[in-house]
Amino acid sequence: MAETATPRIQPGTVQTTEDKPKSTFEPGYMVICWNDPVNFMDYVTHVFQVVFGWSRKKAEFHMLQVHEKGKSVLTRESLEKAEHYVHQLQKYTLHATMERDE
Amino acid sequence: MKLVKATKSQLVFELGQREKRSLPQILKLYPCVPAAHHVLSKSGRLPDREGNQQLLDEALAEQRAENKKQVQALLADSRRFQHTETGARLSLSPAEVEWLMQVLNDVRVGSWVILGCPDEKPAEVNASNASHFLAMEMAGYYQMQLLQALEGET
Repeated sequence: MAETATPRIQPGTVQTTEDKPKSTFEPGYMVICWNDPVNFMDYVTHVFQVVFGWSRKKAEFHMLQVHEKGKSVLTRESLEKAEHYVHQLQKYTLHATMERDE
Repeated sequence: MKLVKATKSQLVFELGQREKRSLPQILKLYPCVPAAHHVLSKSGRLPDREGNQQLLDEALAEQRAENKKQVQALLADSRRFQHTETGARLSLSPAEVEWLMQVLNDVRVGSWVILGCPDEKPAEVNASNASHFLAMEMAGYYQMQLLQALEGET
């Protein structure tokens, strides 16, 4: 029977996640939609369905989160994909930004 | 504004006399949202934040210029914006309905920004802000008519 491999840790070297540079291709960016009093709830739901291809149920869930909690994290993506989604949402004049997921 | 005919490729709306006059007026206000309104990030903690913000600004500016051309073309196209005895008939493909909703929402949100981003109705509607308030409400009205028509089709 094969033995269970034991991880070897070299004395004196401690690696933490903070040391690692975050690649722009990692899903390290949150796409957030913020509440505002001007965009209609049905319109926001519709935009989420169109931009993300979501079901009405999922789109409504996020729309209600925006409405009730002030914001909703819609997705976590790489830098480029997050930028793409923010651009799409802003084309529809929704209040959307991307923030680093830390 | 009433949906009178819907096929997979075309939606036809009937507009009354007032709507026939007001819809072009509302559309002519496009673009209404100030260019600086959209920011890529609130925290600003992004690599090459300024460069990325500039790219977004350029993409949105290009989009606005294209949309403005399309609005002008739509209003000038007598086959699609057809005058009738009772008002007008507007024929749009589903993709154009989707696009027109974006345009109308720009006018709605832009008017709201000009009004000072009020939480509800502006405290006082007066001679100086009435036209923006009206534009915001009318754009919202047309936008919802289009959305209902589009969702009835899906």
